[in-house]
Amino acid sequence: MPTITLSHVSKSYDSQAPAISDLDLVVQDGEFMCLLGPSGCGKSTTLRVIAGLENLSAGEIMIGGRVLDSRDQGIFVPPEQRGAGLVFQSYALWPHLTVERNVSFGLRLRKVPADERDARAGFVMATLDIEQFRDRYPSQLSGGQQQRVALARMLVIEPDVLLLDEPLSNLDSRLRLKMRAELKRIHGEFGTTIVFVTHDQWEAMTLSTRIAVMNEGSLQQVGTPDEIYNSPANLFVAEFVGNPPINMVPVTIGQDTDLSLTLGEYVTRSFPKIDNVGSVGLRPETIRLTVREPPGNPHCLTSHARVAGILPTGGNWIVELDNGGAPLFVSTNISPEFNVGEMLYFQVDQSRMHLFDLDGIRISYENG
Amino acid sequence: MKRKSDRMPSKSAAQGESNSRAGMRGSARLSYHIKVGWREPTAIIGALMVVLFAYLVIVPIVTLLHDAVEVQFGDARRAKAEVGAWTLYYLNRTLASPIAQVLFWEPLAHTLSVAAGVMLVSLSLGVPLAWLLSRSDMFGRRWFATALIVPYMLPSWTFALVWRTLFRNRTVGGQQGWLESLGFTPPDWLAYGQVPITIILALHYTPFVILLFGNALRSFDSQLEESARILGAKSGTVAVQIIFPLMLPALLSATILIFAKCIGEFGVNYILGLPVDYNVLATSLYRSISSRQSGVAAVLAGAIMLIGIISLLVDARLVRESRRFVTVGGKGAMSRKSPLGIYRLPATVFAALIFLISVGFPLLVLVLSTIMKVPADFSLDNFTLDYWIGRNLETVALRTGILLTPDLWMAAWNTLRIVGFASLCSGLLGLLVGYVVVRSRVRWISSFLRHVTFFPYLVPGIAFAVAYLSLFAVQRGPIPALYGTGLILVLALTADQMPYSSRAGISAMMQLGKDPEEAAQMTGAGWLRRMTSVVLPIQKGALVTGTLLPFISGIKGLSLFVVLAVPTTDVLTTYSLRLIDNNYTQAANAVVLIIAAMAYFGTLAVQNVTKTNLADGLGG
Repeated sequence: MPTITLSHVSKSYDSQAPAISDLDLVVQDGEFMCLLGPSGCGKSTTLRVIAGLENLSAGEIMIGGRVLDSRDQGIFVPPEQRGAGLVFQSYALWPHLTVERNVSFGLRLRKVPADERDARAGFVMATLDIEQFRDRYPSQLSGGQQQRVALARMLVIEPDVLLLDEPLSNLDSRLRLKMRAELKRIHGEFGTTIVFVTHDQWEAMTLSTRIAVMNEGSLQQVGTPDEIYNSPANLFVAEFVGNPPINMVPVTIGQDTDLSLTLGEYVTRSFPKIDNVGSVGLRPETIRLTVREPPGNPHCLTSHARVAGILPTGGNWIVELDNGGAPLFVSTNISPEFNVGEMLYFQVDQSRMHLFDLDGIRISYENG
Repeated sequence: MKRKSDRMPSKSAAQGESNSRAGMRGSARLSYHIKVGWREPTAIIGALMVVLFAYLVIVPIVTLLHDAVEVQFGDARRAKAEVGAWTLYYLNRTLASPIAQVLFWEPLAHTLSVAAGVMLVSLSLGVPLAWLLSRSDMFGRRWFATALIVPYMLPSWTFALVWRTLFRNRTVGGQQGWLESLGFTPPDWLAYGQVPITIILALHYTPFVILLFGNALRSFDSQLEESARILGAKSGTVAVQIIFPLMLPALLSATILIFAKCIGEFGVNYILGLPVDYNVLATSLYRSISSRQSGVAAVLAGAIMLIGIISLLVDARLVRESRRFVTVGGKGAMSRKSPLGIYRLPATVFAALIFLISVGFPLLVLVLSTIMKVPADFSLDNFTLDYWIGRNLETVALRTGILLTPDLWMAAWNTLRIVGFASLCSGLLGLLVGYVVVRSRVRWISSFLRHVTFFPYLVPGIAFAVAYLSLFAVQRGPIPALYGTGLILVLALTADQMPYSSRAGISAMMQLGKDPEEAAQMTGAGWLRRMTSVVLPIQKGALVTGTLLPFISGIKGLSLFVVLAVPTTDVLTTYSLRLIDNNYTQAANAVVLIIAAMAYFGTLAVQNVTKTNLADGLGG
């Protein structure tokens, strides 16, 4: 079955730095895999080499046990023979064809009999709620409708693998939410293996069964959304995922802000076996604020800082604490009962701290 | 430790295997390369086009330059060497011999002084007009915006004919000029030579300045100007310190392009220079061809080419240098119209005057000249339609009106056939070049095509025509001598139009992008299917424009035809020139009117079909 296997995959253009280098990734059958990363990290290139729109510089790609691209074996299967569907960020609908024609293009190509073709195209268009537009041209549709036509066009040929290149990035936020739900439903209904490229962590979190985080052409971490968020493998993943972003406090010698010192002291005391901590990450929502000094707790870091700003975000508040160094951001859903300039106590559970070594790699202290 | 020893053998085995496969891997690499780069016809089409354009563009020019340093047939005795041997005879003759003055240096001086005069006049007319049209509240701006461009749609030598009709004096025979018949004999300096040539070319190229400079002004962000105003600058200061520096690239560009076009200009110089032996490089070149001095012609053509290339390189350089500080306004670009106040009416009168001088009056004269027996006699019985549709006229030859002359219809048919076919070729090739440039996975093919198709732009038409003449005059390998056939015209014209059509094709394909085709690929469509169902249907409009625009510029073109056409392949332009040579002024004027009408209405048709404005299509 269509398991996608990328082994030691590299792609470089001309003499520039490689777009992706030495990538190993396995997407299991039926999985919804998100490639997440900042723009220019190579996630779209990864999608395009899977589709066959680009060829590899080194490595090998297999889908369902069939080698599709391998320089060493002299194999390159062109995109039209790979059985993959790709939905473009720009949708790439054919402007000279009606919606129905766009959708049924692949079926006509395969010389599917007219009645079966109509039935299949009709079913997909009905599922995606675009049947009423069947005779319109793409330019007469809204962005969301175009996006669904682009999706329908690929779904109708029942690809083994569906590749989506930031398909939601051109939609407004309400439509995005709706399409996200729709995509999740389609994944359930059609059972296709999906690889989804996005730079939107929220999208990745809500949609995928697993997430592959990429940066500068290489894979940073692969895991479930929960793993990615709660045990980021390195500094990049920790800082890229999460909004507001994680507070990263360096605790190396020479970093002598109040918080660095307090945290460094705390870490040394609480994790006696670990001696190579470079920085500690504190997620904003795991920090508790209190006006009065809370009771002492050995499994908790307790300290205090001055409130430098309160930023309401509608239902939530981001509180900026000044601790003499970089500001510490705390997010809370309890209406703050304090003002700027006041002194507050804050507390973080030991179990919620993310420790990274001097190279920025996560230290898993359950074992250490 | 145990683990490690387990792994060792398998690793070395793999290594041995890889050694024994070293040869096989090489062939795998090769087959991979072929599968990736050459699996689709794109690469093959690209390779074919590389060959085609190498032959249509590079080979003729190389042949031409070669002719300049090789003893030509019949020159063996004078060059004191065998035919085909290397020689400096032609270079010497053209540049340093006693007749070099007449052959080269004087024409060069004339060419340069005409070009300088044209630049000066068309800038001083074009710049204020461009400003009035794009940034002021002058009356009838929209109408003028089209009307003032008309001279550029007409063949430049239309106006030379008008001039001749008006100012012709007794220096040449044939029908009198209007002024002469009104009792005033224009002096030679006014009737022929530098003065009229400069005026006419300047009027012809003023639209060029209006288009290029006007476009730049329109895209100029008024906020830049307004910020200066807010800081307290007077309008004079703003003009000198803000607008002028930012407009400099556009101005330089227009100036140098005009210069380059003047270098290759043939028709006007031929019509108005010949009677007083006022030669420029292009006419000197034409004379050398007529008198079969192909070696000298090659040197002259090379010189014209060199000047053309140098000036365009200078242009590229200057524009790049002055663009480094230009900031693009982006979204904020908005253009505010300056109120002219009490000058609103005078400004409008100025524009109207230019229109009358450059379009209205000349066309009127041309039309009148074809329906009047005696020049400048406006009594009713002097008017006649004989020159158009008369029969059994009392003339030596051409005894019917022009519309009843079979020669006209043959020339018209030739024009349609030759120019039409060439335009279709260049339109299609342009689109294909665009496709290959955008899609080819073999880099050097796309960059070669991009450059080679642009190259004819650097070579003035008449030099290009001479290159074709020297390549196709005799049989070379499997290619028969093509001189005298319509095919040589089609080939030359196609190559000459490639800069425009390939640029149009490349930009159309760039705009389309790869996505629609790749989407078809993802649904399983092979190459042929993608071309016929996706790419070509979407690019239908681009193909129509890419064919019509070369067609319009082709029917009014003269310099290519004058060298390459023979009486059986006469087109309208060469036919009218032949009529001028025989002093059938009315008939010649009528033919030119027909050409002008075709060019004008053709341009309007393109505008309507594509809903674009002239500035984009003719700006090249």
